[in-house]
Amino acid sequence: MRIFAGFALFVLWLVLSASYNILHMATGAVVASMVVWLSPTGAPHVRRFSWLAALMYVPWLIGRILKSGFHVSRLILDPALPIAPELVRHKTKLSSDGELVVLGNSITLTPGTITVEVAPGELIVHALDVASCEELKSGLFDDRVGRLFSVKGDKK
Amino acid sequence: MNTFFFVVLTIITVLMLVYFYRVVRGPSVFDRVLGLNGISTKAIVLLVLIGTMFERVDMFVDISTGYALLNLVGALAIAKFLEERGASSK
Amino acid sequence: MTWLAIFLIVLGLFFLVVGSIGMLRLPDVFSRAHALSLTDSLGAILVLAGLAVYEGFNMNFLRILVVLVLIYLLNPVISHATIRAAYRSGLRPTDKESR
Repeated sequence: MRIFAGFALFVLWLVLSASYNILHMATGAVVASMVVWLSPTGAPHVRRFSWLAALMYVPWLIGRILKSGFHVSRLILDPALPIAPELVRHKTKLSSDGELVVLGNSITLTPGTITVEVAPGELIVHALDVASCEELKSGLFDDRVGRLFSVKGDKK
Repeated sequence: MNTFFFVVLTIITVLMLVYFYRVVRGPSVFDRVLGLNGISTKAIVLLVLIGTMFERVDMFVDISTGYALLNLVGALAIAKFLEERGASSK
Repeated sequence: MTWLAIFLIVLGLFFLVVGSIGMLRLPDVFSRAHALSLTDSLGAILVLAGLAVYEGFNMNFLRILVVLVLIYLLNPVISHATIRAAYRSGLRPTDKESR
C-alpha cells in the first residue's frame, strides 16, 4: 500500500514537472519516497471501496450536477426569483467517515443543495427550492454512496 | 483562437469585479469570504487560460495549483476563526 | 476538436455569468453559496475541460486535469466550512414565511 502511494506521488510529480532529464526525475523519486517515509503508517480508518463503483459514480454525479445546474440557473434568471430556501434535516443510514465525506461533498457539489452540518446518521442541508429538496429526500444519493462502499470481505 | 481566448479572459475579469462588489458591500462577513472564494476560483481558471494563450501551460498550471491549495488553507483558517469568534462585527 | 472546446468554454462562461448574477440577486448568505457552487462545480470545471480538450491529448491535458480534480475536491470543502461557520455563529436563512 505504501509502495502504491509512493508510486502515485511519483506519477503526480512526472505529470506536473515539465522536464524529463535524469536529475529532475531522480529528485522526484527521492521526494516521493521521503513523503511516504515521513507520513504516518496505517491509513486512518479508511473503508475499502470498489474502484468499479467509483468509476461509475463520477459520470453519474456529473450528469446530476449538470441537470440541477440548469434548474438553478433557471431559478436565478427568472425575473420573479421563485426561490424557497429552507433548512432540511436529512436522516441517512450511512455513518462511517468515508461515506459521510463522499455524501456531504456530493451534496455540496450539486447546485441547489449545500451541507451545513454533518453528524453520523444526520445531515442538515440547505436547499434552494422545493424541487432540489425533493431530489435529496428521495434517498438517491444515499443509495449510490452506500453501494460505493459495500464491498464483500470488508472487515469493519 | 487567440482572439476568442482574449474575449473569454475579459469576460472572466469583469465577472471578478462583480464578486469584488460583493466583497466590498457584503452585509455580513461571510458574504465577503464567499466573494473572495469566487474570485480565487476564477483566478485559477484565468491562470490556466493565460497559460493556454501563451502556450506555457506547464508553468501556469503549477501556479494555479499552488493558488488553489493556498486558497483552501486561507479559507479554512478564516472560517474556523469566524466560527470561534462569532459574527458580531460587520 | 476545437469546436468541442469552444462549446465547452462557452457553456462554462454561461454558468459563470449566471453565478455572478445570482451572487448579486440572491437575498442571504446561504442562497449566495448556491450561486457560488454553480460557478465552482459547473462554470470553472467546464471552462477548464474546454481548455484541456483544446490542448489535445498530451501531457498538458493531464496537467489541466490535475487542476480540475483539485477544484472538484477542494471547493465543496471551502463552501461547506464557510456556511457551517455562518450557521454556528447564529445566522439563519430567510425562509418562506418571512419573504
